[in-house]
Amino acid sequence: MDVDRNMKAPINQLKLMLPVVLVAVLAIFPIIGTPRVWLLYLFLFFVYLTMANMWNLLAGYSGLTFLGPGALIGLAGYTLVIVTWNDLPFYLGIIGGGIVAAAFAALIAVPTFRMRGIYFAIGTLVVPEALRYVFYLWKPVGGEMQGGGAGYMIKGIGGLSLTEFYWLALAIGIVSIFLMRIILRSKLGLGLAAIHDSDRAAASSGVDVFRLKLYAFVIAAFVTGAAGAIFYIYQGYIAPVSAFNIRWLMICLLATVIGGIGTEEGPIVGTIIVVFLHFLLARYGALSLLIQGVILVVIMLLVPEGIVGLVRRKTRNYQSLLQLATRR
Amino acid sequence: MSQDALLKISNIDAFYGTFQALWDVSLVVKHGEIVALIGSNASGKSTLINTISGVIHPAKGTIEFDGRDISALDPFQIVTLGISQVPEGRRIFPEMTILDNLMLGSYNRQARANREQNLKKVYEHFPLLEERTKQLAKTLSGGEQQMLVIGRGLMSDPKLMLFDEISLGLAPKVTDELYKAVREIRAKGITILLVEQNVRRSIKEADRAYIIKAGRIVLGKNVSELQEEEIKQAYFGV
Amino acid sequence: MTVEVLAGLSRPIIMGVLLGGLYALIALGLSIVFGVMKLINVAHGDLMIFGAYFAYALMTTWGIDPILSLTMGIPLWFGLGFAIQKYVMSRAFGISMEAPLIIAFGISLILQSLTQIIWSPYSRGLEAPYALGGISLGITSVPKTYLLSFIAALVVMLVLREFLRRSYLGKAIVAASQDKRGAELVGINTGRVYAFAFAIAMATAAIAGVFFGLTFPFTPTSGVGFLVIAFGVIIIGGLGSMLGTFIGGIVLGLTQTLSGYFLGAAAQMLFVYLIVFVVLAVRPQGMFGR
Repeated sequence: MDVDRNMKAPINQLKLMLPVVLVAVLAIFPIIGTPRVWLLYLFLFFVYLTMANMWNLLAGYSGLTFLGPGALIGLAGYTLVIVTWNDLPFYLGIIGGGIVAAAFAALIAVPTFRMRGIYFAIGTLVVPEALRYVFYLWKPVGGEMQGGGAGYMIKGIGGLSLTEFYWLALAIGIVSIFLMRIILRSKLGLGLAAIHDSDRAAASSGVDVFRLKLYAFVIAAFVTGAAGAIFYIYQGYIAPVSAFNIRWLMICLLATVIGGIGTEEGPIVGTIIVVFLHFLLARYGALSLLIQGVILVVIMLLVPEGIVGLVRRKTRNYQSLLQLATRR
Repeated sequence: MSQDALLKISNIDAFYGTFQALWDVSLVVKHGEIVALIGSNASGKSTLINTISGVIHPAKGTIEFDGRDISALDPFQIVTLGISQVPEGRRIFPEMTILDNLMLGSYNRQARANREQNLKKVYEHFPLLEERTKQLAKTLSGGEQQMLVIGRGLMSDPKLMLFDEISLGLAPKVTDELYKAVREIRAKGITILLVEQNVRRSIKEADRAYIIKAGRIVLGKNVSELQEEEIKQAYFGV
Repeated sequence: MTVEVLAGLSRPIIMGVLLGGLYALIALGLSIVFGVMKLINVAHGDLMIFGAYFAYALMTTWGIDPILSLTMGIPLWFGLGFAIQKYVMSRAFGISMEAPLIIAFGISLILQSLTQIIWSPYSRGLEAPYALGGISLGITSVPKTYLLSFIAALVVMLVLREFLRRSYLGKAIVAASQDKRGAELVGINTGRVYAFAFAIAMATAAIAGVFFGLTFPFTPTSGVGFLVIAFGVIIIGGLGSMLGTFIGGIVLGLTQTLSGYFLGAAAQMLFVYLIVFVVLAVRPQGMFGR
C-alpha cells in the first residue's frame, strides 16, 4: 500500500506541473519569435475561449440560455472608449468594462429572470438590439466619429504591440478556465447544477435560485466584458453596428456546441475549431459564415453532445468493456 | 363475444429515462370484460396505461391487441386501431367548445365516417354535453369535464377503452353517474380497462382485477374470488 | 390648438396602423409556430427576406410581378417549411430544449450567407408599377405599398383565423397547442400537425417577404431586426391568436410612429424595443394570450 502511494505521488505532481508548464510555454511565445499569425490565432483563441467559457457557464450549467453576449461586449468596449478618452490607462478600461458589464447584468437580471425559459431567450435577444440604438443616439464622449456614424477610435493604446495584446488575452483566457474549475466544484456550482436540472426542484430543496443565477450571471458578465474590452484594445475602434452584433452570440454558440455544451473542456475544443475556421475561411467572407451555419446544424443534429461529449461516451463504453474483460 | 384476449401484455419493462417504472408486467383483458387495475400512488398504474397507448414504448416484452403487436406504434396509430384512453387529470382542450372537443375525438380517418352517429351516442350517455355544446370546455365543472373526456374517447370508435382514475377529485354522487356511463359503454360491447385508486369502487364495477405495486403485478384474479385480506396484503403489504 | 395637434397626429396614427399591418403580416406565421410548438424560430425573419429575394430573382430574370410570383413562392415555401419541420426540427425537439433554437440560428446563418453570396450585400427592392407613389386617404396621403401591405395582412389574418377555427386540421393544430398529450391520445398525428403548422408559417413568411420587399429596401441581414419586431408583436398580441397578433402589430406600429413623432426618428425603434422588453417582463402571454 505504501509502495502504491509512493508510486502515485510523482504522477500527481506531474498532473499539477503540466498545465503550469503549458502556460509558461504559451507565455514566452511572443518573445521567442513565434510567427505573427500564430500569435494572432492564439490571441483570438483566448478571447473567444473566455467568452465561450462564460456562455457555457450560463447556458450549459445554469439553465440560462443567454442570447445577448453582444450587449456585454459592446458595453465593455464603450466603457473602454470613455476611459481612454479621459486619459486614463487602458487596463483600467478593461476592468471598467468588466464592471460595467457586470452592473448591467445585475440590472437586467431582475426583469429577465422573471421570464421563463424561452421568454428569457427572447428577452435577452432584444437587449443588444436596443443597446445598438442607444449608442447610435448617445455620444458618450465628444470628438471624432468613425465608420457609419457613432463609431470611436480607442485612445491610449498606440504604444502597444501584439505581444501585449497576446499576454492580455492569455491572462483572461487562463482566468476563465480557472474560474470554471473553481465555480463548478464549489457550492455555487452544486446549486447551479440543481437549477439547470429544474428551477422548481432546486427551489423546493432550499436553493436560492435567484441569488445563485445572479452570481453566475454577474461573474460571467464581468469576465465576458473584460474579454470584450481586450478585443477592442486590439481592434482599435468600435461602432454600434458591429459591437452589439449577433456575431458574438454566434461565436459563443458555435464554440460551445461543437465542443460540447455543459462540459468543461467543450469550449476549449470548440474554440480551437472556430478560430481555425475563421482563419481558414477568412478570405471567403460570406462562404465562411455559410459553412459555419451548416456545421452548427449538422453538429446539433448528429453530435448534439459535442466532440467532448462524443469522446466521453466512447471512452466510457470502452472502459466498461475493459472492465468486463479484465473482471476488475 | 369471444373469450380470447383482446389485449395481451407479456412481460414488459418500461422506463422513464433511466428510472424503471414497470418490471416484467403481464396482463390480459378479454373481449367484453371490465378489468380493474388497482394500486396506490406511484405504483405504475398510469405508466402501464401510457405504455398501452404508445406514449411510452416498452423496453422489453410485447403488447398485443386483437392479435397484433402494437408495442412500437405511435399513439395516434394505436387510437386508429381501436384503443382509446381517457387520461387522468381531465385533459380537455380548455379553450375549445364542447362540440369541438368531441369532434376532435373522431380525428382519425376511420372514425370520421361514423362521426354523427357517435356524437348522438355520446349525447345519449351524457345529455348535459348536448345542452352545453357551444360552451368552452374550461367552463365546465370537474365532473362535467370528465364526462367530456369520456365522450371524446368514445368518438374514436374504440374497441378497448382505458380509464385512468376518472373518479379522482370528484364527489361520490358524480362518480356514481360516471360509472353508470361506464356500464352503459360496456353494455354496448366495448371492453374496458380501468385504473382506480378507490379499491372498493373498482371491485364493485369490474369482472377481474389486477393489483400492481411498485411496478410489478402482484395479483390477478376474478373479482368474485378476491379476498379482502389478499387485497390489503397486496396493496399495502410488507 | 387641439385641432392642430390632432391634425398633426393623424398622419403618424394612420401610418402607424398601416405599418402595424405589415408587422402583423410578418408575425402571423411566427405566432402559429410559437403558439403550437413553443419554437423560437429565429430564422423566421431570414426566411421572409429569402422570400423577398426569391421574388426579386423572378422579377429581374423573367419580369414576373412580385405579387404574382407568390403563386410559385407560396407552395414552394410551404413545401420547404413542411420539410424543415418534419426532417430537421422534429429531431431537434427530441434532442434537448435548446437544440431547436440553436438549429434555427444555424439556418438563419446559412440563409444570410447564401443570399449574400448570390445577391451581394447591396440593398435590393421589389417594384411593381401599381405600387408606386402615394394614395390619398382623406386627411393625408400614404405610400400605396403601406396600404397594400395592410390589406394583405388583414386578408391573411382572416384566412388563418377561419382556417384554425373551422377546418379539422386547423382545430387539430389548436388542440395540439393546448394539450399535446391530449391531442396524441385523441388520435391526432402531432408530428404531421406540427409540420403543417410550420409549413403554413413559412407560406405566410413568403407573402410577408413580397410585401415587405415592395415597401422597403432589403439586404441579406435585414431579417434579424424584424425578428425582434415579430416577437414583440406576438408577445404583445398573445400567442396563437391571429386577431391578437394583428392588433399587436398595430400597437407596435403605432408605438413606433408616435414615438417617432414625439421623440424623433432616431429614438423610435429604441422605444419599441423597450416596450417589448417591458411586456416580456410583466405579461409575456400578451393581451390575448392564456
